[in-house]
Amino acid sequence: MIDVFSYVPAIVLLPFFSFLIALGVGKYLPKGGAFGGIAATAGSFLLSLWVLATVAGGEAANRTLYTWASAGGIGPTDVELSFGILVDPLSALMLVIVTLVSLLVHVFSLGYMNDEGETGLPRYYAGLGLFSASMLGFVVADNLLMAFMFFELVGLCSYLLIGFHFREPGPPSAAKKAFLVTRFGDYFFLIGVVAVIATFGTAQFAGTESFPALAEAALAGEGSVAWTPGGLELQTWLTVVGLLVLGGVVGKSAQFPLHTWLPDAMEGPTPVSALIHAATMVAAGVYLVARMYGFYALTPTTLAVIAFIGGFTALFAATMGVVKDELKQVLAYSTISQYGYMMLALGAGGYVAAVFHLTTHAFFKALLFLGAGAVIIAMHHNEDMWDMGGLKSKMPVTYYTFLAGSLALAGIFPFAGFWSKDEILYEALVHGLNDPLLLGGYLMGLLAVPVTAFYTFRMVFLTFHGEPRTETARDPESVRWNVKGPLTVLGVLAVVTGFINMVPVQKVLGLEGIDLLHLWLDNEWGGIEGLSSHHYGDIGPYSSGYLVGGEVGTVLVGAAVSLGLALTGLLVAWRLYNVPSPTEHTAKLGGIKDVLYNNYYLDELQVWLAYRTEDVAGGANTFDQGIIDGVVNGVSSVSLFGGSRVRRLQSGVVSQYATLLTLGLVALLLALGVTGGWFL
Amino acid sequence: MVNTLPQVAALLPVFLLAFTGLALLLVDTITPDARSNTSMAVVGALGSLAALAASVWLVVSGTGSADTGGAITLFAEAIKVDTMALFFTAIFASVTALVVVAAHDYFHDHESPAAFYSLVVFAATGMALLAAANSLAVLFVALEMVSLPSYVLVAYLKRNRGSVEAGMKYFLVGALSSAIFLFGISLVYAATGSLLLSDVAEGIGSLDGLAGVAGLGIVMIVGGVAFKTASVPFHFWAPEAYEGAPAPVSAFLSSASKAAGFVIAFRLFTEAFPVGASLAAGIDWVLAFGILAAVTMTLGNFAAAVQEEVKRMLAYSSIGHAGYVLIGVAALSQDGGANGAVMGAAMAHLLVYGFMNTGAFLFVAMAERWGVGRTFEDYAGLARRAPVASTAMAVFMFSLAGLPPFAGFFSKYFLFMGAIDNGFLWLAAFGAVNSVVSLYYYSRVVKALFIDDPASSSSLDAIDVRPTGLYAAVVFAAVATVLLLPGFGPVIETAEAAASALF
Repeated sequence: MIDVFSYVPAIVLLPFFSFLIALGVGKYLPKGGAFGGIAATAGSFLLSLWVLATVAGGEAANRTLYTWASAGGIGPTDVELSFGILVDPLSALMLVIVTLVSLLVHVFSLGYMNDEGETGLPRYYAGLGLFSASMLGFVVADNLLMAFMFFELVGLCSYLLIGFHFREPGPPSAAKKAFLVTRFGDYFFLIGVVAVIATFGTAQFAGTESFPALAEAALAGEGSVAWTPGGLELQTWLTVVGLLVLGGVVGKSAQFPLHTWLPDAMEGPTPVSALIHAATMVAAGVYLVARMYGFYALTPTTLAVIAFIGGFTALFAATMGVVKDELKQVLAYSTISQYGYMMLALGAGGYVAAVFHLTTHAFFKALLFLGAGAVIIAMHHNEDMWDMGGLKSKMPVTYYTFLAGSLALAGIFPFAGFWSKDEILYEALVHGLNDPLLLGGYLMGLLAVPVTAFYTFRMVFLTFHGEPRTETARDPESVRWNVKGPLTVLGVLAVVTGFINMVPVQKVLGLEGIDLLHLWLDNEWGGIEGLSSHHYGDIGPYSSGYLVGGEVGTVLVGAAVSLGLALTGLLVAWRLYNVPSPTEHTAKLGGIKDVLYNNYYLDELQVWLAYRTEDVAGGANTFDQGIIDGVVNGVSSVSLFGGSRVRRLQSGVVSQYATLLTLGLVALLLALGVTGGWFL
Repeated sequence: MVNTLPQVAALLPVFLLAFTGLALLLVDTITPDARSNTSMAVVGALGSLAALAASVWLVVSGTGSADTGGAITLFAEAIKVDTMALFFTAIFASVTALVVVAAHDYFHDHESPAAFYSLVVFAATGMALLAAANSLAVLFVALEMVSLPSYVLVAYLKRNRGSVEAGMKYFLVGALSSAIFLFGISLVYAATGSLLLSDVAEGIGSLDGLAGVAGLGIVMIVGGVAFKTASVPFHFWAPEAYEGAPAPVSAFLSSASKAAGFVIAFRLFTEAFPVGASLAAGIDWVLAFGILAAVTMTLGNFAAAVQEEVKRMLAYSSIGHAGYVLIGVAALSQDGGANGAVMGAAMAHLLVYGFMNTGAFLFVAMAERWGVGRTFEDYAGLARRAPVASTAMAVFMFSLAGLPPFAGFFSKYFLFMGAIDNGFLWLAAFGAVNSVVSLYYYSRVVKALFIDDPASSSSLDAIDVRPTGLYAAVVFAAVATVLLLPGFGPVIETAEAAASALF
């Protein structure tokens, strides 16, 4: 029997090797090392499918592969820091998503980068390889510290790839912004990691000795934790730790108020955007919360914060998407908004719903970005939607797949996004009926639905419908198989992925067993004890309430409302923009328009804050220069002065040496003799 | 297989070194001209490598360890071979091999290089014997076997005023120290009635009013140790001897000879003057070593920080390192749980130090061979012409400073940890502060090599030769310094086992 789990490290290492190859000898290879990357991600994808099949067969793995540091007797507990793998239904699913999207992005890059004659391709493919490898390492991580390391690597790769066109002014600045803003969040994450290790003596995700399990036992009064600071109550401290880790999540998953890096990150090549948004960087934050959901479920306050941030971000980002002129900008804000939904789901106790939306979103958002990439190729890298129009007939494959992705994003039945978004809203609703904060999150999420549908179809109509508004749009450049292929695959997935979890149908018709994802994440086919959605539900703080008609009624009402709102948004967009020559309607928004155009002036706010911190930093600088450096300089001059005294002792005269030596020995003799009482 | 050999086979490394020395004399007799440089170097290197192989083999096969029946005593217990003796023999043999290989290039134009090789190998023989000495008499004879060739080696460049002067000073201070050491031995003999270490230990337990005599003797013996290890206040010879001597000799003295001094300390102060009995008799040599360690590392490091010449800086840094290793003796305590750990860590540090310090001095030897100057400024920009050797030097410097990921970090870390575990936080704190100071002057070398611009564009033209042997020795030492990081586990385990066997 071959043990598939011993090949899990290969899933991570294959793209890493492609990174090394592209970096080392990429310039001698055809296509700048693209084929190495494609082969590596394809290999990882096949292995991931195998892992998925094995997990479906009832196996799971939680193994420590390498302990790189262990310490006993230092600090509160014995600590072991290790690398390991944790393969359960959640990570197996995520492995397949990441490797599939990464593979398709690699193939698409052939069309977007190679065929467009870009230079520096080995660097590009090296970056893609490392990006995929880092994310895969993050997905299989079995402890929080390892996850943090790969999380940081993901951040580094995003910096490298967003700044790929480093000779232009925009990309390097966007790359720095992405790096710094996510780093700001990661700073809290790092403190959180240290706090977790100090509190529990372990950072493992799974098992009886894992930190979620220890926290659960300690809260139930069946165990104790190694350390809590200054007599803080355990529940409070766990909330603080949870919020610290959440800092990293908010940064990476671009949640309010750390979302500002993401729209700028559109400066990166479009396939990279697809990778960042669908499968790697942004997904990492949400995945992390899902990964340690057993911990978050224990702290109701953190959950409420997550839900509220999520709901707010969903609405807030959607409103900004309404006024954008550039194709990728619209998609960027839609990504922020959609990850807001996932956070809302996680905060609302809808673990499965969040993973479900993560899955469907990965496919339809990758699809939309790659579709946008195809349009950008066709438009000779002009991204302004007002210069497009009428592309529908010129590029049918792109149009129909993009349309499928848009319908999914807008949440129109029966496309993938409908099912997952509906489930999120349903979970938020039933749990929120007993919890006002959560209900607020739900309402914001609900309000975001028509806005989403509106901006999505505004984008579709402006790009593909109507009359061509420029010469380029009249005669777009054609795209090849390497663009159409990935689009087709993702287009199909955007239509069908929703069927893996038809909870409303199950609940209304009473059909058992069609909510596959629910069963999958509930360890129906096997998994790891303590990591099932059922367990999370048991330890979570929420109880369900229903509207008229009990469960079935609530399902129907919820679905009808959200679908109705989505269709409303779609119809408004249709009325306004599905005309031969659409015009800008933003003026009707009045003063709000400027606010939205300027992203609620949040960038300005952050810059202002940065300057205020500069004032604080100035004070710290004075302190550092004056006092700290003064002490350091003082110490060094004292040392050097002492050194020069010693040097003078070394006179070069042997008789002096003999004298000093003898005197030294005598002094030692006297000291010991007197203390030891030899001369009595 | 080892068990089937006669017991005297445990001295195989010593015999190999002695025969190598004799063979060198033979080669010199057959071809008594300057051209014998190469054949001498080859014989010397092969002999010392064979001794290294023999000692490693004996350690691995467990000779003299507790698992195979304990230490092997020979010649009416005058000699005692245990793991520590073999461990140190391995250090001596590896440093000798490096020095001999490097000397081939260094003495390429010397009129009579032959005596150099035999003197080095005879000194190494003395060291190996010293490591196995079990009687104060053998100890003293072996110590002189190390010292006498050393004086000659320092003064080996007969026409170089600095070399001769350094040799003279070394000899004078050495004679004084030997006298003190010998006087100490006689006092100990007077108080305990024996020269055999185990009998001395028994005598220390029942001194009957002779504690003062024994105490005087022991402190004088501490003085002898301090001379050999170049510790304060017996360190005065070191900066001048290291600076004046040919650089390979400096490497040999500061690595192997220093380790020889420490093997005396480790042997005597565990087997002849056990902590418990000495403290009971009112002889607190632990305190004496504590003071010496603190003063030595502080003086060495602070003086190193203000030197202008690299070789002299290395000399003081070597004094500083003696201070660190002294912690291995100074942090012992009665029934201390970490006695074996801290002394083992000191041994492991000596092994690592053997490679990194020898390598650093050999880099200086290479610079002397090239004819670039001696100061930090003269080293500016060397990395442009000699990147490999400069990288190796950077490895030595960072490892000496104790930065991860080099082997010097681990040995120092274990040393300080052992001291803390044994309750000597203050010694570890001293060591840590001094390590910070040392980083300053070690990084000056790296800065000069890699960052500074050469004084003039022609100043690097002197580097027109590629001395193969020196290069090989330097690179090998660097590789060993790096490889001792993954290989540190077995080293520290062997050293700790060897040290634990002494208590």
